[in-house]
Amino acid sequence: MISPLCICGGASMSKTEAAGTAYAGAKKKKSFFGKLGRQWQLLVMSLPMLIYVLIFNYGPMWGWITAFQDYKPKQGITGSKFVGLKNFKWLFGRDDFLNSVRNTLAMSVINLVLGTVAAIVLAILLNEVMNTFFKRTVQTVTYLPHFLSMVIVVGMAQNIFASNGPINNLLMNIGLIKEPLFFLGESKYFWWLVGFINVWKEVGWNTIIYIAAMTAIDPGLYEAAAIDGAGRFNKIRYITLPGIKSTFVILLIMNIGHLMEAGFEIQYLLGSSLVMDRSQTIDIFVLKYGISKQQYGVATAAGMFKSIVAIILLFAANTIAKKLNESTLI
Amino acid sequence: MKAAKGKSNRIHHDRVFPAVNAIFLILLMFVTLYPVLNTVAYSFNEGTDALRGNIGLWPRVFSLESYKSILSDKAVYQAAWISASKTVLITLLNLFWTSMLAYCLSRKEFVLRRFITVIMVLTMYVNAGLIPNYLLISKTLHLSNNYLVYIIPTMFSCFNMIVIRTYIASLPEALVESARIDGAGDIRVFWQIIFPLCKPVLATVALFVAVGSWNSWFDTYLYCGGKKELYSLQYLLKMKLATTQASANAAKTTAEALNTLGQTTPITIRCAITVIATVPILIVYPFLQKYFVTGIALGSVKE
Amino acid sequence: MKKILAATLALALTAAPMMTAFAEDAAEEPVTLTVFRGDPGDQPADDNKIYQKIKDEFGVSFEFEFLAGDLDEKLGMMIAGEDYPDLFDGGNSADLLIQNGALINLLDYVSPEKTPRLWAHIEPQKARLITQDEDGNDALYIIPNYGLADGEQIVNSVNGPAFFIQKQVLEWAGYPQIHTLNEYFDLLDSFIEANPTDENGTPYTGFDILCEDWRHFCLINPVQHLMGRPNDGEVLVDVNSDDFHTETFIDKPYAKPYYKKLNEEFHKGLISKDTFVMNYDQYIAALSSGTVLGMFDQTWDFNTATFALQDAKMYKNTYVALGLVYDPEYVDGKEIEEHYVNGSLPNVNRGFGISVNCECPERIVNMWEEMMSDEWQLLFNWGVEGEDYSIENGRLVMTTEQYENTLNNNWKLHNKAEAFTQSSPKKQGYIMDGELAGNCWEPANQPEIVFGQMNDYDKEFLEHYGYQKFADFVNPPIELAPYGEAWQIDYTPVDVDHQDFLDIQDKYLPELIMCEPDEFDALWDEFVEEITPSATVFGEYMWEAVQAEAAKVLENE
Repeated sequence: MISPLCICGGASMSKTEAAGTAYAGAKKKKSFFGKLGRQWQLLVMSLPMLIYVLIFNYGPMWGWITAFQDYKPKQGITGSKFVGLKNFKWLFGRDDFLNSVRNTLAMSVINLVLGTVAAIVLAILLNEVMNTFFKRTVQTVTYLPHFLSMVIVVGMAQNIFASNGPINNLLMNIGLIKEPLFFLGESKYFWWLVGFINVWKEVGWNTIIYIAAMTAIDPGLYEAAAIDGAGRFNKIRYITLPGIKSTFVILLIMNIGHLMEAGFEIQYLLGSSLVMDRSQTIDIFVLKYGISKQQYGVATAAGMFKSIVAIILLFAANTIAKKLNESTLI
Repeated sequence: MKAAKGKSNRIHHDRVFPAVNAIFLILLMFVTLYPVLNTVAYSFNEGTDALRGNIGLWPRVFSLESYKSILSDKAVYQAAWISASKTVLITLLNLFWTSMLAYCLSRKEFVLRRFITVIMVLTMYVNAGLIPNYLLISKTLHLSNNYLVYIIPTMFSCFNMIVIRTYIASLPEALVESARIDGAGDIRVFWQIIFPLCKPVLATVALFVAVGSWNSWFDTYLYCGGKKELYSLQYLLKMKLATTQASANAAKTTAEALNTLGQTTPITIRCAITVIATVPILIVYPFLQKYFVTGIALGSVKE
Repeated sequence: MKKILAATLALALTAAPMMTAFAEDAAEEPVTLTVFRGDPGDQPADDNKIYQKIKDEFGVSFEFEFLAGDLDEKLGMMIAGEDYPDLFDGGNSADLLIQNGALINLLDYVSPEKTPRLWAHIEPQKARLITQDEDGNDALYIIPNYGLADGEQIVNSVNGPAFFIQKQVLEWAGYPQIHTLNEYFDLLDSFIEANPTDENGTPYTGFDILCEDWRHFCLINPVQHLMGRPNDGEVLVDVNSDDFHTETFIDKPYAKPYYKKLNEEFHKGLISKDTFVMNYDQYIAALSSGTVLGMFDQTWDFNTATFALQDAKMYKNTYVALGLVYDPEYVDGKEIEEHYVNGSLPNVNRGFGISVNCECPERIVNMWEEMMSDEWQLLFNWGVEGEDYSIENGRLVMTTEQYENTLNNNWKLHNKAEAFTQSSPKKQGYIMDGELAGNCWEPANQPEIVFGQMNDYDKEFLEHYGYQKFADFVNPPIELAPYGEAWQIDYTPVDVDHQDFLDIQDKYLPELIMCEPDEFDALWDEFVEEITPSATVFGEYMWEAVQAEAAKVLENE
């Protein structure tokens, strides 16, 4: 399990050395350790957290071995029986697992697109507000739903989208539909409902990071643009958007790595047996068949599968960003 | 002629856009405020009546019982203290460690930059699973039933580090260069020049960390469940909700249910708990907002 | 070593004076026991009077941990780390603790000689309680917290599964006797035809089916009861057959008429499709508003709704539990006898076990032995005489205020030791000897208290039927079958098949109820084909388990 890490680490180091030549200037022959020695202050500052993550994040990685075991907590890792790839075979032999992978990817793509677009649009609109008090009020109010538990938000959404709920009543009153739509019971709506609820709950919260990024934009740029006769939309297009581009790209890369995580709480609460084929995510699957059935090995195998896919997606996204000359994560 | 036309157009634009924008934002505020006010309304409603649902923005039958039943337990205050203190400590430690590493990894010349970045970034995507983590914290490090279990395992977050690094990268390189010429080492450059300039992003990260820490209950559940002095507020409140639900189901006769629950029910308790747990952390945001003002950071640098 | 210890102990205990000396020695050394409860709960108050008495008498105090998250997850980690408390109530997953060797065998300390009271308590049910450990020795890991009652079974109301109907529907129809599926739905149909809405103009819902998560028993369990058996979970046991023939019922031809009936009622508009996406809060809100006329459920599951209706004085909208069976036309003309209420059942493997990490197991067992005395049991159940209850003419009585106290959570944290006693062995049923014989151990069962609080509407309602209590709507308890109740059986080995079995039901049953009537038969066949593999695995496993359990009990008789 550790080998992919080493490969990454090794490969990256040689590249760093190549990149490092720019700084080293003319003294090309300077050895790696010589440079490191000169950069001792950076080393001192980064070492504590490097050791920290090695202990807290990589230390427990022996747990991945249990993906190849019929792990029993009592026997522990040394006493449990090795079963080869059985856990993986079991997972991929189940249609509902593959189905849950599809659902996870679909919902996280919808969430990512809707969530990002909504957050950026709101951040820009807020940025255009001149009245500080109004701006702060909107910011504060829109981020409040982040603090509500999913149970509350989903419960409310279920009332709003019920057959006799306000949305159906509205659609019927304006004559768009004749019969109420069965939003909660027909699987074709499910992914979009999840996307909608997530945006509703998180848009204000997701905006914060873009608003912070906008603070780094030099106000002089706007003044200069105004003198050049640029209108509001040109300022947004040529100053604001480029100003938050690196934040956007970095967040996008990180989130692409998280496509295997669509959560489980919202689907668990909003889903019903009628929409099960669209609502079951990987996490729900693992919850159902993993720990609560004492299939710890299966749970780890699913987690490992998620991590590997995540890392592949991450590096792919990072490489594409690099090819496009955008900021990169790594 | 042409120019004049363009100008009048722009003036027209400048009136319409802010108005449309304001209307849109007000609508948005209503849509996002609705669930919040609805929760508050439920929390102030009488429990039994709330079971019937259909409460809008105002309680139907006003009652303070839900709050009384929660706040009358003295353990809530001890738990609030634990939560507040750990939130402050974790936030400070996080800001310190994360920004320092972010600075190092923003230095393009740092030879270990890519290596360390990869190591760090992967922590966001690999997870060993619950049991190995539990054994590390509880058996190897013996942090169970210890206040430090709230602090030590959550001192660092890669996501936040990346956010800060991205911000630092957007600052002009000349700042560092000129300090270098003055003979400053990296530690001094970071502390005296970069760190103060990062206020907006540090405020953002502080908010993320503080909210995350304040809202967490899982660490108490895993490691401190056996020590009631160390309960965090979220854990205690979650427990109260679960207990209300369980005792509603356990009652053998309706009269028993009637009295066990008193004037509170799981629905109102859940909402009151949300309000009680949220209000303290909400205070943080307006306080941090003053750092989100455009231009402050760079304006000061230029002089 | 253990044997020598036990022998020494036995010797010590035979000599009475020495025993007290032993107990006093122990009491002098205060100990704090760590306790885990696999369900949610509140920490007792520091000044709790009962815990103070326990501390004074036994030198024992407690540090409680209650469950806040997922039980299996928590137990999995405790097992992995061997982080066991002294006293361990694993809730619904106690089997996991036993399988992983987390609990000690209590038989090392519990015996007729050493602990006569505890032994007398478990003796009548010992065949169900005592199992074999890996080496084939007798083992008892947990003394049940509930279900070992003295005297006749007390049934004041139906607390388990039943078909429910609003009292006003029966009142409207002139208090008829409703015993079959057709009678029930015919009544609902005619009531809703005559009264489409309530006084406020809100339309009535005829029949609700809660399907949310684990509460889907409202959807999947009724058939066994319609076939005349109490709750065996997801299987139907033929108790009259020699081999306790056990099968899953949902895939059998006799399950079809029920869902066909629901399909018919769905198309008549008695059932709304929203019921299949309803969450629990919405369900409770619907019931609390008084507009749902009937449903299949278990009484405790909608307690809060009943509570809301009572509180609003909407007594006619509260529910009666009916024991419905199939009409003969559905089961080849056979008359089915109704049995919704079962004989009382020990709560096997529920309650405290003592963990292998505990340093003073014999002290705990001896404490329980002492606590099984009438004095301690009265204290735990009724409280302190004069303060919490009084004795009048040999009857235990409480004033209204005293009784209401016992139901007030906050009061209980100061004056009851429930966190400990709920999971400990206890006396239930009737007090058998002494001056107080004939009183109930639990105040909530004492007739004076039960009937003292009934409202006038209910009293009058019962009068029309000539009944004493609401439990009279169903037959008295049937004798408990030798295997107990099948839902108690641990099916971990076929866990995955069981999950498939449930998922397929969750998916198909709502579809069957909503489909076009002419598509019903084809969809039913598809359902049966789909579910047969997992149903067969689960059913066969359960049959073997039921047989084994029954054999164990019968052998001992």
